[in-house]
Amino acid sequence: MKMSLIVRTTTKLVSPFLVVYSTYLMMYGHLSPGGGFQAGVILAVSIILLITSHGYKKVRKTFKFWEVQLIEGVSGVFLVSLGIISLLFGGFFFNFLRGGSFGSLLSGGIVPLFNIGVALKVGAAFTFMFYILLRWVEHD
Amino acid sequence: MIPLLVASPLLFAFIISLLPALGKQKLSKYLFLIGAFSPWLFISSIIQKLPLGEVVGGWERISGIEVIIDSYNLPFLAAELLLFTFVAFYVYGDYYPKKSENKVYVVLLLLHAGLLGAFISRDLFNYYIYMEIASVSSFALVAISKEKGAKKAAFKYALFSLLASYIFILAIGIIYLKTGYLNLFLIKENLVFSKEINVALVLAFSSLILKIGVFPLHFWLPDAHSKADAPISALLSGLVVKAPTYGMILLILTFPISTLMQSILITTAFLSMFFGIAMALIQKNSERLLAYHTVSQMGYVLLGIGLLNPLAAAYYAMAHSLFKGGLFLSVGTIAEHYGTRDLEKLSYRHSKFLMVAIVLLSLAIGGISPFVGAFGKFMLVKEINGLLKYVFYAGGIGTLTSFIKLNYYLLKRGERVPFTFKKEMVSLSVGLLTLITGIYFYPHLQLVRDLSFIFIGFGLFYVLKKLGLFEFQLSPLFPDTVSELGREINVYMLFLGAFLLFILFNSIY
Repeated sequence: MKMSLIVRTTTKLVSPFLVVYSTYLMMYGHLSPGGGFQAGVILAVSIILLITSHGYKKVRKTFKFWEVQLIEGVSGVFLVSLGIISLLFGGFFFNFLRGGSFGSLLSGGIVPLFNIGVALKVGAAFTFMFYILLRWVEHD
Repeated sequence: MIPLLVASPLLFAFIISLLPALGKQKLSKYLFLIGAFSPWLFISSIIQKLPLGEVVGGWERISGIEVIIDSYNLPFLAAELLLFTFVAFYVYGDYYPKKSENKVYVVLLLLHAGLLGAFISRDLFNYYIYMEIASVSSFALVAISKEKGAKKAAFKYALFSLLASYIFILAIGIIYLKTGYLNLFLIKENLVFSKEINVALVLAFSSLILKIGVFPLHFWLPDAHSKADAPISALLSGLVVKAPTYGMILLILTFPISTLMQSILITTAFLSMFFGIAMALIQKNSERLLAYHTVSQMGYVLLGIGLLNPLAAAYYAMAHSLFKGGLFLSVGTIAEHYGTRDLEKLSYRHSKFLMVAIVLLSLAIGGISPFVGAFGKFMLVKEINGLLKYVFYAGGIGTLTSFIKLNYYLLKRGERVPFTFKKEMVSLSVGLLTLITGIYFYPHLQLVRDLSFIFIGFGLFYVLKKLGLFEFQLSPLFPDTVSELGREINVYMLFLGAFLLFILFNSIY
């Protein structure tokens, strides 16, 4: 399934910017509106746009099935082990990384790390779900 | 320490989901077993300092999520850990084919984590999220079954369960809007009772009634619970319907419940008990019989909530998890080895272990005294008096009668099939566990009463058999085709809407 040249060119142009925006949201989630879930959804949207315009088979060659699965699993393990590591410092999900003045990028402690984990997890999971649904729709 | 109960199965679920990408699928069954048993490591250090509470991450109560283990959720946690351990042992190995093994293990561990998370939380939103993790995993587990019509049952289950969730989250939203808190302690401290809170309570209760599957809103339950594989049915009937029960306990601990709401809950509970028994008596399918008994037994749990006696509801829920989980495992084992679920073709004559297990579990579900069911019923019946007490006992006799029917069919001679030793042992140990926990909690024998109950049960069974009730075939309300599914769902949605509006208009004045 392939859409017209205009759509394909536009999505190719827009997708990298979506990834940049998503990165911004996950890095600055503790300072400005945003956060892990939103960033993850935008990350997934950048791939889903490419799938709808270029077709599932072509996109799957670049973003492979097992890679998406790997990112999803690793970020899930990362999130839970972040909580378990903080147990050594005083409590489950205890904020053990402090430092930086109020309002600066490094002031969030483990919150930005958590946001990045959530964003990767959500983005990979949405892409994964799309892949599985499309595999069934396109019969391959 | 408490969040680790949830974190360890969750961690292993994620690790197992990683394995196919790394090409190490062989490890998944070992990791599954470690993940399923890991909460036991923490429970031993937690159990010495109960009641125990903490706010996750060391935040203040206003901004954090509170988790507590105390007398209200300890029965739930104990039942969850015990039954899941047995089921994990049952599923471990070659129960599922190599191809789908990995996925099933991930979903089972997610279910484990979701249930544990729901049972420890004292925060409405956190509770809701974990209950959803558990229910979404259970849709997948129902759909995995190879039984005919399992996908359809899973779809119906998913639809109604999600609808109930949306109604419940609306109720949480109203509570949050009016009080400003999601933590139940803070809600209770700052509560100003108003009409809006009342509406929220009605919405929350009716959605949770839909989720536990008692009588007027039970329509998804018999299908979903009878089409799933035996260990999955045990988890669904034993544990997944207990998560909404815990939600009701949280609500009655926090909010003042009007007498009208109470009488609606008690009426629903009694109706559900007798409807479940009546439907179970005429079933020919072994798993459907047990599924209708879940409808009936959840009535008892709801009765505890209607009487504003959360401890009784919690202990009866624990008792029900143990004996119903055990019954699904043992009867399901027989049904799987015979390759059919038709009650007339099954027999437990060739396995003494399964015979003992099923007899023990039947006595437990009937409420015979040294078993755990008697303890649950004793807790419930303490606060009932007058006519209702006899109605309550009549429910127990009805349950016994339908289990006499089950044993009567299973006692007939059938063709010889070899049973797996591991499965027999798991069923038998759940059966013995109901006896041991019953003796531990309530070591009073009420020989005269129980013997007379069994005697009346046998008499009733004989009378019903002579009347020809067991040959009676109820024609299904809707034809068993996918094309009619839409109409069926519409009709049931109408039921749900009518029930919701009925309570809503009655409780607002």
